[in-house]
Amino acid sequence: MTMASNTTLTLHRLKKIEIIVHAEDQRPVEDLLHAAGIGGWTMIRDVAGLGHGGFHQGRSIFNDQTGLVMFVGVADAATIERAARGLARLFETRAGVTFLSEVEVMRSGYFAPGTADGAAPVERI
Amino acid sequence: MTMQLQKDFAGGAASLSERVLPSRAEVAALVALAARTVAPLWPLESAIAVNPLAGYEDLPFETAVARAAQRFGARETLPLAAWRRLLQAGRIDAGALREAAIAVLGGLEAAFSPIGPDLLPLDLLMARLIDLPVAAPEASPALTGAQAFIAKWCAAFLDQGGASSAMPHRDLGLYRAVLALAAHDRDFHRLTGAAGQRLLLSVPRDPFDAIAEAIVEWDLPAGAEVDRLADLVARLPGWAGHIRWRCDHADPADSAGAPATMADLIALWTVLERALPARAQPESAQAESGQPESAQPESGQAGPKSWAAPALAAHFGLAPHTLATLDPAQRARMHGIATMPESALGALYMTAAERGYRDDLVPRLSAAARKAPPAATPAAQLVFCIDVRSEPFRRALEAQGAYETLGYAGFFGLPIARHRHGAAESGAAPRDRLLPVLLAPQHTLHEAPAPGHEAAAHRAQAAAARSAWTGTLFGRAKQGLATAFATAEATGPLAGALMLARTFAPRLASRMAAAITPSADPVTVPDLGGFTLSEKLGYGALLFRLTGLRAETAARLVVLAGHAGGAVNNPYAAALDCGACGGHPGGFNARVLAAMLNDPHVRGGLAAQGLALPETTRFMAAEHNTTTDAVTLFDRDALPASHRAELAALEAALARAGAANRERRAAQLGRSADDLLTGAVHWGEVRPEWGLAGNAAFVVGPRWLTADADLGGRAFLHSYDWRSDPEGQILAMILTAPMVVAQWINCQYLFSTIDNDRYGAGDKTTQNAIGRIGVVQGNGGDLCVGLPRQSLFADHGAAVSGPAGTPWHIPQRLLTVVHAPFDRVEAVIAANPVLMRLFGNAWVHLVVIDPASGKALRRASDAEMLPRAGNENPSPTQEKRP
Repeated sequence: MTMASNTTLTLHRLKKIEIIVHAEDQRPVEDLLHAAGIGGWTMIRDVAGLGHGGFHQGRSIFNDQTGLVMFVGVADAATIERAARGLARLFETRAGVTFLSEVEVMRSGYFAPGTADGAAPVERI
Repeated sequence: MTMQLQKDFAGGAASLSERVLPSRAEVAALVALAARTVAPLWPLESAIAVNPLAGYEDLPFETAVARAAQRFGARETLPLAAWRRLLQAGRIDAGALREAAIAVLGGLEAAFSPIGPDLLPLDLLMARLIDLPVAAPEASPALTGAQAFIAKWCAAFLDQGGASSAMPHRDLGLYRAVLALAAHDRDFHRLTGAAGQRLLLSVPRDPFDAIAEAIVEWDLPAGAEVDRLADLVARLPGWAGHIRWRCDHADPADSAGAPATMADLIALWTVLERALPARAQPESAQAESGQPESAQPESGQAGPKSWAAPALAAHFGLAPHTLATLDPAQRARMHGIATMPESALGALYMTAAERGYRDDLVPRLSAAARKAPPAATPAAQLVFCIDVRSEPFRRALEAQGAYETLGYAGFFGLPIARHRHGAAESGAAPRDRLLPVLLAPQHTLHEAPAPGHEAAAHRAQAAAARSAWTGTLFGRAKQGLATAFATAEATGPLAGALMLARTFAPRLASRMAAAITPSADPVTVPDLGGFTLSEKLGYGALLFRLTGLRAETAARLVVLAGHAGGAVNNPYAAALDCGACGGHPGGFNARVLAAMLNDPHVRGGLAAQGLALPETTRFMAAEHNTTTDAVTLFDRDALPASHRAELAALEAALARAGAANRERRAAQLGRSADDLLTGAVHWGEVRPEWGLAGNAAFVVGPRWLTADADLGGRAFLHSYDWRSDPEGQILAMILTAPMVVAQWINCQYLFSTIDNDRYGAGDKTTQNAIGRIGVVQGNGGDLCVGLPRQSLFADHGAAVSGPAGTPWHIPQRLLTVVHAPFDRVEAVIAANPVLMRLFGNAWVHLVVIDPASGKALRRASDAEMLPRAGNENPSPTQEKRP
């Protein structure tokens, strides 16, 4: 470890959103995160766990759509709120869960929003 | 910092006065939910059967059909006249129809308790089912101007190389590109006038924002947005389905440079809706929905149908005043039967079709389950695709000698895509996905020249490139809007001569047949370099684990037979190919797995896993052409001399089986067996084969369970041995993947039959192909979503199918039969939401045959499990008489 131990680590407070949905809803969630302005996320395919409907297995070998996928995204609070509002509409009829939490990151610029409400294309053609 | 989420945001219960523009993320969610109202629609060149009501599978079948009928302006069932023809032809069991009628009346007691003198409820209902006149089915309404406008621009924007001059601004996306051109579009001006021009200047350029603005302008009650947007999606279900395919399933290269999303399509609709003159709105809204009056929900208690009961009474020779003598309860019962909507009567016919089929099939399988399995050693084993067309061929082959056949998904468990040899040079699609759409390809395989055939492979590649170039040039000129007529004039004489040859002497043009029959010794081989040994072991072992094929007693020759259809000038050719292989022929996958299983390293590894194959066992790949019933065995040179005698005997047996099956199929098509060979290469052939029409069952179990029963080409057969699956994992794989694909196929045939205009593709002879995308009826409009009429209905007087217009395919839901212990099957269902949904909502019926006792149980749907009087302790399975 070459980093000097007395170097101050600058941390930035942001929000994290974690979403677990059926694999068939992967695309709608991606579109929604884009629309909310989240510039990137991590996706974990084939997660398992215990839910209201009993134990969710991983996907079966021949059907990618049978599993659950998990998204992890980090952004500023306003962007995460937009995503959460959109997800609330989606979950009115689709199954899924969302967790929001506070996180600290080292490079805040890395999580800068993409195209969002405030930055929607406005030019006329 | 604390996030301030308003209280109402989770429930969406804000009052109108508080409403603000929904955010883009909220609109994205609404659009995603609305998009589910249509299923993805694959291009015809890789046609995949999809349930057009896939987005409704969360609902019980009956509810789903009713809601979709309302949204799409479709019928809920086959017209009653067509059902009656099936009954007259003996293809619906009259006893089963009577049983269904008794059940819907509330049981024996209710059905037989007289309403009046000599007037039984059952007689009344049967008269309505069989005798009383019915209204003629209404014709589908023509496209509205708004539909035609959007369809025109969808066709222009989504064109995949058919047009010689591409639409400008495609890089901006569908919505913005059309906005940019609409100001100059006469149709738009005619439809919307000055209001449309004003709106074009002010409407947001981002589709999500445009939709948000419309939602606010429409002042919709909270929670009504999704339905409103879904109605817009449903106006052109074909184009909407194509957009879903493009977004969710296409390779990115397919849509590069021309992004089109469901938000684009909905946003276009919102602009039109807002710009249409206000006075025209109610009328146009009704016309837009294509909602015929008769498709309005009929609840059966309609008062206005006061003529119905007297008409029914008159049928039984009773004067109208007799009705007045009935007590109110009796009158109400009579009225209930007299006004029962045709959709409900049609549903009874479907129930009868399902019940009759089940009561014929299940006892035969149940009886077989009580016998000991045969122990003979086969001369060869052949693994066929589960496709319903395999079953009669397998039966015909088994009759030729000691041949054992098995059923396995025709992609042979290989999640692969193929990069054709020389594809880039020939301009062909970069890769073919040779796997079910439920899966993403894990490996892209290249074709390499076969050793010793390098020169031939090079020549074949050059010929393919030439042919593709010529074909592309001719095709572009022919399909281009500007060049079509000039092309016909310039090349007419030559094309005419070719057409004459193909019309009057198709078999003389025997070289054409070569185009649909793969070479037995292909000049290319699949390059397996991309697989690790452990992957090869995994895919190899799956064959044994899924089908129950026993390694240690494998025959000297094991043939893996994929399948393909054969047709020329047929936009639906891919629909006749292997659905498991993404609408492509299955021979390539068979060659890949055979090569793996002949690899000594793989054999060693399998032996270490307890799958020790005899040293003398050799695997061969083959392809069964379901149009001609010819079976091509590949790579015969690679077979050792020691196996040549078995191969010769097998080839002779395959030829005899093919001839026998052609005879059987020819009778069903009302033509001669030789004529089937002609049809495969005939230019004007509209029905080269019946495809998967008639599909009705999915049987999971050993072949000996079905071997003695002629299943008439109506059953998907997946081999399975419950003894080698103690945890039920294999069964879960079979039910959640191959069965799901079979259910899609079943639903596509079912809905295409009950409303061929809305859910199918109409008459083939009036269709036009749009580039590589799909077909439309006439010269424009919506893409057709399902199967053409000729794939489903008889149009000749063949005795087997009844008079012209009689459905050849009987619309009935899939019956899955599983040979395994009850508890194990129930545990598998409980652990897989997709199975809970399909069986629980009665999209698929399930019968389980217990291996120990041979007893058969039918699993009840969720609706049947609802507590009712006299059904206080329902159990998930109901005993079914064996």
